[in-house]
Amino acid sequence: MAYWEMIFYWVALIVYSLSCGGFLYSFIFKNPKVMPRMFALLAVGALAHTVAIGARFQATGHLPWSGHYEYALMGGWFIICGTLWVGWRNKQLQGLAVATLPLVIIMMGYGYMQNPGLTPKAASLKTIWLYIHVYFAWLAFGAYSLAMAAGVLYLKKKKNSLQPVPNPSYDRFPSLEHLDELIFRYVVFGFITDTIMMAAGSLWAKDLWGGYWNWDPVETWSLISWLTYGITIHLRVTFGWKENRLAWLVICALSTVIICFFGVNLVVNTSLHMFQVR
Amino acid sequence: MFEKTLKYLRSLRFTIVLIALLGAILAIGLWVPQQSLLKDIYFDWKAQSPRLVAFLDFFQLTSVYTSWLTVTLWALFFLNLTLVMWQRIPLILKRIEMPASRIVDPETGGGFVFRAAYAVPEGTDGSSMVTALEKRGFAMVSNDSGFYAVKNRLSPIASALFHLSFFLILLGGLVSFYTEFIGFVDLAVGEPFGGTLAQYNARPTPKLPKVGSLPEVAFTVTSVEPHVVRNTPTGITVKVKEKTGAEHVVDINKPLNTAHSSFVFKHLGVAPLFVLKDPAGREVGGNYFKLDVVGGKTDTFRLGDLIFTARYYPDYEFKDGKHRTKSQEFNNPTFFLVAERDGKKVAEGTVPVLGGLNLAGGYRIEMKECPFWVRFYVIKQRGLSLVYLGFAIASIAVIWRLMFYRRELVGAFREKDGRRCLVVAGKSEYYKKLAEDEFARMCGELFGPPLAG
Repeated sequence: MAYWEMIFYWVALIVYSLSCGGFLYSFIFKNPKVMPRMFALLAVGALAHTVAIGARFQATGHLPWSGHYEYALMGGWFIICGTLWVGWRNKQLQGLAVATLPLVIIMMGYGYMQNPGLTPKAASLKTIWLYIHVYFAWLAFGAYSLAMAAGVLYLKKKKNSLQPVPNPSYDRFPSLEHLDELIFRYVVFGFITDTIMMAAGSLWAKDLWGGYWNWDPVETWSLISWLTYGITIHLRVTFGWKENRLAWLVICALSTVIICFFGVNLVVNTSLHMFQVR
Repeated sequence: MFEKTLKYLRSLRFTIVLIALLGAILAIGLWVPQQSLLKDIYFDWKAQSPRLVAFLDFFQLTSVYTSWLTVTLWALFFLNLTLVMWQRIPLILKRIEMPASRIVDPETGGGFVFRAAYAVPEGTDGSSMVTALEKRGFAMVSNDSGFYAVKNRLSPIASALFHLSFFLILLGGLVSFYTEFIGFVDLAVGEPFGGTLAQYNARPTPKLPKVGSLPEVAFTVTSVEPHVVRNTPTGITVKVKEKTGAEHVVDINKPLNTAHSSFVFKHLGVAPLFVLKDPAGREVGGNYFKLDVVGGKTDTFRLGDLIFTARYYPDYEFKDGKHRTKSQEFNNPTFFLVAERDGKKVAEGTVPVLGGLNLAGGYRIEMKECPFWVRFYVIKQRGLSLVYLGFAIASIAVIWRLMFYRRELVGAFREKDGRRCLVVAGKSEYYKKLAEDEFARMCGELFGPPLAG
């Protein structure tokens, strides 16, 4: 890690942890006033996160796109930016951070435990397809993570509404009907970017490995993930799945994406997606 | 019975069952080493657990992606898709029509999520409203009883295109599968390649096309220059010259593409020129040996009656009594050779470029030069343009369908409380709440504030 990268990485991680704690506090202790402050704190963390990425870029000369540490660094940034974007546009959605922040904190902690060393860009990554493929992959991951977060909020809010004395923190969130629709919107956005990611990846694979489809474990999981979200859209549009069933579906479906990004390379060392990144 | 079976085969329920089963099978392929993908691991595993592997082989679980079960599921998937599309396409075409029968009463028509009324000046006719809505991208049909407007009218076509693109991908996949040639070829600098089957590596066995010919290309590798920065390979420049005189540079991510064939760089090795000299200094043997030694591996070669085991140090140094490489950069290429005759070691030592090693009986081995060799993964396929077209259509169609979805509006002029007003009702695909907000905003901008109640 570069010197400033390490400092700002830790600043971001600590600020995210504080913000996450604040969000949890506001839910558990029924104090919704804390939430906007925690959202502002999240923005500070995102700023530090951005500086860390910039410092790494300056040290290596390329954006962090490969290896578990860089996946966590960049993927976490996309998820946080997505959370900030939707929370900034609609204050009622600031609470999505309560589900996305723990995911990002775990990702960044895990990434740090992998190899965060500075490496020149591997030869296989020197192509414009990298940016298109990985950018859309992270957009998809960010959108699916927000769908999961909206699913968690939906289930919590619904459960809260059945309590004899409901927690007022949930009043800050959009209505159940609106949350239900948001879940679907994030899934749709994720599915579009996922489709583009796979098409771009196939074109890249032809030049890099010789074949547009190689049944590589990461490719196969990305196909499983794409099919899962494709089914989710069909279940919603054709079978009318919504509310609790849709919320649980998107929460479970995120596991296919996490396996694709982190799980496969963890257990299989034969993936072409290792890219000689140590 | 037939009707019932057909109904199930074209149901979305069946699609979901098939996709779930395919997903499960793909997942099996991730955990069970596949013969075609992990040959070495598979054969090691087979040697260690022959009964288990034989059992899995029997059920084709070690070649699951091409197993009968998988092929059957894919066939059923495309059968299901065909039947669904056969049923859906007429419905889609019907849906994009604009018959006057779509004009319904905005106050009583069913399925609308947004309803509102707006005061309009006396004498206002529909023409100004038609213009305003058309400016916002609505297609209109109207009569005396009211109007029907729809935005993104053709969007359902994208749904058909998205699903039909799968057939293009399937067709391209089938064409590429049957015309596919795969082979590996190792070529040293200066070595010509004529495209004959004999020139390809025997292992792994080249996959011959079921239809079509081998790649028809002939070229010579004119130079190889690997690039390594801080122990990370950052690129390679392989220059080749075709028989026609055309020159190409091959790099990682930049294969030699010619005549439906790709020559993809896969592996780097060194091909030193070793010569054997007798005690009088005369050359009694010599050759370029393609050695697979980059990255710390050892390889062997035979020269005269001696067998040499070679270890390669790209940036050699002798430190703390050990032979080692300072880096992976090719700054000081040196071999450590062990010479054996009849299984007995007769000499060992380092040999740099233009250096040598004295052997028993006054003989000596010398390295004259040390060029590189490269391994190309050669693949020839047809039908790729169909696959790429399928990808492009799928990507465009999914954006079109899911981002430019239909919004429908019906409206009529009515008299309410002695005032002339426009009553409208709207609905949208997918997003009810979003549509409510969108219609309220748009109608507010067009017609002013809504009437209470």
